[in-house]
Amino acid sequence: MADETFLSDDLLRQLMSVGEVDLLVGILSHSSANTMRRAAHYVEKSLQQNFVRQRVAIISVEGGTVEDTRSDGDSSDGQPGSSFYSKGLSSLRTIHRITAGFSGTPSPGLALRTILSSSDLLRAKACAVVSPATSSMSPEWVANLLRPAFRDNFDFVAPLYSRHKFQGLLARNLLYPMTRALFGRRIRELYSDEWAFSSRLGTYCLNEDVWHEEPVRSRPEAWMGISAITSDFRCCQVYLGEKPSPPDGAGPDLVEVLRQTVGSLFWLLETHQQAWMERKGSEPVPTFGPEHAVTSEPMELNRTRMFEMFKTGVKELEPILETILSPETLLGIQSIAALDEHSFRFGADLWVTVLYEFAASYHHSVINRDHLVQALVPLYRGKIYSFIAEYADASAADMEEASENLCLEFERQKPYLTEKWKAGVEVKS
Amino acid sequence: MALQEDNLWYKDAVIYQLHVRTFCDSNGDGIGDFVGLTQRLDYLQELGTNTIWLLPFYPSPLRDDGYDIADYTTVHPSYGTLDDFKAFLTAAHNRGLRVVIEMVMNHTSDQHPWFQEARSSRDNPKRDWYVWSDTDTKYQGVRIIFIDTELSNWTWDPVSKSYYWHRFFYHQPDLNFDNPEVFEAMWEITKFWLDMGVDGFRLDAVPYLVEREGTSCENLPETHAIIKEIRKRLDQFYPGRMLLAEANQWPADVRAYFGDGDEFHTAFHFPLMPRMFMAVKLEDRKPIIEILDQTPPIPANCQWCIFLRNHDELTLEMVTDIERDYMYDEYATDKTMRINLGIRRRLAPMMENDRRRIELLNGLLMSMPGTPIIYYGDEIGMGDNIYLGDRNGVRTPMQWNGGTNAGFSFADPERLYSPLISNSVYGYQVVNVDSQRRFGHSLLSWMKALIKTRNSYRVFSRGTMEFLRPSNHRVLAYIRELGNEKILVVNNLASSAQAVELDMQRYKGYIPIEMFGRNLFPRFGDLPYLLTLGPYQFYWFRLRRI
Repeated sequence: MADETFLSDDLLRQLMSVGEVDLLVGILSHSSANTMRRAAHYVEKSLQQNFVRQRVAIISVEGGTVEDTRSDGDSSDGQPGSSFYSKGLSSLRTIHRITAGFSGTPSPGLALRTILSSSDLLRAKACAVVSPATSSMSPEWVANLLRPAFRDNFDFVAPLYSRHKFQGLLARNLLYPMTRALFGRRIRELYSDEWAFSSRLGTYCLNEDVWHEEPVRSRPEAWMGISAITSDFRCCQVYLGEKPSPPDGAGPDLVEVLRQTVGSLFWLLETHQQAWMERKGSEPVPTFGPEHAVTSEPMELNRTRMFEMFKTGVKELEPILETILSPETLLGIQSIAALDEHSFRFGADLWVTVLYEFAASYHHSVINRDHLVQALVPLYRGKIYSFIAEYADASAADMEEASENLCLEFERQKPYLTEKWKAGVEVKS
Repeated sequence: MALQEDNLWYKDAVIYQLHVRTFCDSNGDGIGDFVGLTQRLDYLQELGTNTIWLLPFYPSPLRDDGYDIADYTTVHPSYGTLDDFKAFLTAAHNRGLRVVIEMVMNHTSDQHPWFQEARSSRDNPKRDWYVWSDTDTKYQGVRIIFIDTELSNWTWDPVSKSYYWHRFFYHQPDLNFDNPEVFEAMWEITKFWLDMGVDGFRLDAVPYLVEREGTSCENLPETHAIIKEIRKRLDQFYPGRMLLAEANQWPADVRAYFGDGDEFHTAFHFPLMPRMFMAVKLEDRKPIIEILDQTPPIPANCQWCIFLRNHDELTLEMVTDIERDYMYDEYATDKTMRINLGIRRRLAPMMENDRRRIELLNGLLMSMPGTPIIYYGDEIGMGDNIYLGDRNGVRTPMQWNGGTNAGFSFADPERLYSPLISNSVYGYQVVNVDSQRRFGHSLLSWMKALIKTRNSYRVFSRGTMEFLRPSNHRVLAYIRELGNEKILVVNNLASSAQAVELDMQRYKGYIPIEMFGRNLFPRFGDLPYLLTLGPYQFYWFRLRRI
């Protein structure tokens, strides 16, 4: 049952006015008023065009507001009167707009909790979450996310994007293959800014006592997705479209990104230990829309600096890496760090071993967990350097094959992780 | 009770719409007539209505419920004689009831002598009274109104070997108003009834009077010129008589028929009607607010006429495709209920006989701006018979009592012009005037109280309306205001109880008095005014500064 006292009186008053809805769309806002307006406009347009009969509401969880651009009499394009003289699509009902401020330190987890609580009180059958930071979002995205949850009884709807082959590298080289191998479902984008869920899953997650945990506060979508997988909720993927990376400097730095994503993944391994240990292999999930694709236009990347940071990191962090990695693995790392730029390769088998040993060490808390995740940063840089060099001229099919091979390597080595996980630990001083 | 002298009487009217055939049969031939209707005038007075709108009663082959007129200046023999009509008119006026009749100017029956002459030869003087063509290609693209039955607006006349134009059924040829003789002939007919004393006309199918190539043949300036001329003569020779426009168009298009207060006195607000039904089903005020926000202001001497149901299908022409689909899915799940672009059902069955919803819709009808029209039988919750074909299912005999033929006629039941509604829910044994007269809580008694309350406050008929827009979208609230008369109307459109906070700052210090029970409610203050409403409940508050 939802903790209703968590919501402010103002939000409760707004929810009371809305009553019951079929669909709720949450906008997680940490952006400017302009991007908020654009996102709210797309969401509203999508609801107008695709869910004309449904009772719908948009909730913006942020410091700002979803500006009320429409009154009762305005049409979807803001031109009073036009909706009646055109045969265009237009929602039959009022589209409710709710604004919720943070009652604590702002975080994505707190925002999701607010959305889940609202969804629960509004008895929404399906709910989607979108981010105004996604510049390529279109009205169709919202509809595509909501449909499987609302019409096809799916509980968790993950997005699929088109990306350049050298974008989304963390997902391609680490998050997707590792979650797929361990949790057994082939969901490519568990860490994303857009997703949807059913009321069943929403209520289930709302009632979990995890909201104070840092991984849930920072990346609640991954926790929700993994919870859906491990509790056998129905999951699917839906193709949304192109997802460009944020411009340089717009997003958090790599250390923070890994802290949030890999840290959250390692934490999820702990909290869902029994579930992933029991699973073998992996299964595809239903996927809607066209095949996701990688694009391969030329792209400028500063690889030299990446390689230098890898080598420096391996050298400077040796004492820490010694506590995390097995001697054989550390030796493997040090061996490739000694190679020159042109002959350097970070093989899939070594990469998987490194990650599994990091995960096990996280579990055994061999050092401060935050420091442990940070120690992965230079190794990740080395892996990415190698990946870019290896696939500079690769086609989309080559990329797909490489991705599949990496996933299979994660699956092949899964018993190694289980073994390390269960084993006692030698804490080196 | 004599008629009140007031040229704007139509603003304060509560109109009762009926067909003579359906109301009361005095001679036992199974068909209602003017003598029978006259006998029932006390009922209409008792109900609180003050105007009767009669559907066509002229001689007619009755292939379109009398809108196919074969003679404009007498009464169909089945309904009595012209003297019977005169007696009815006098009796109605004696009771303070005004009478509005139909005037079908756009077309006649193909049995009308004018058309018979016109088709007899191309040289006949009446030939040019109708719209003829050697081909069926003129006025291409003009929409067909009766899409279920007509394939073209042209029909081949084998007698004169040419095509004639008709916007409605093929047996209703359009008159040619480009010929001034046609206009003068129609004015003579109008004068005939005005001289007799009728109080107004509902002008049927107004937008279609004139045709022009390259246009939609609707709402043309030439059509407006004709209306202006009629109005001019009416004001000059028959002041205080009223013209009501049947123009099933968007509000902005209908607005033109008010002119500068020099065309129609009143016009139906067609788009509002389906949106009232939609709002209740959606449990959302959006459809009503949207359409009224888009309704332009009209001249001070004009008035909208609003209605819930009438003798035709619940027309869905003035809605979007999506709205139409929704209405069909929600109110006409059985495809037999659909006809043309509409739904052939009565109010009570559409509301699944839910008394609360029936009351709510009538409450809206009586409290929104405009002259309300009640369709006969809806005040007692009569049912329909969707299996009767065309729109005859909503034109069954009035149910007066639970006895023989529902008290409508003493003819053998087989002889009635239409079978009675006799099912176990809406049948005349259950739903009838006599039984509802006996109980204070019946729908009929409730309707009387509603109409009486409306009639007691001129603000309902002449006041302004301003929407309050509380955050709860299931609540439709508005203020009606006329001078010192102020009424707050709050409607819960939802099937569940609702709380609503109304911003009544402007009326701080006023005391709301509930108008049916006359109970005082707490005075408006600085804070939002909290009201709770049960499912489909509505309040009318008179606001008083005491």
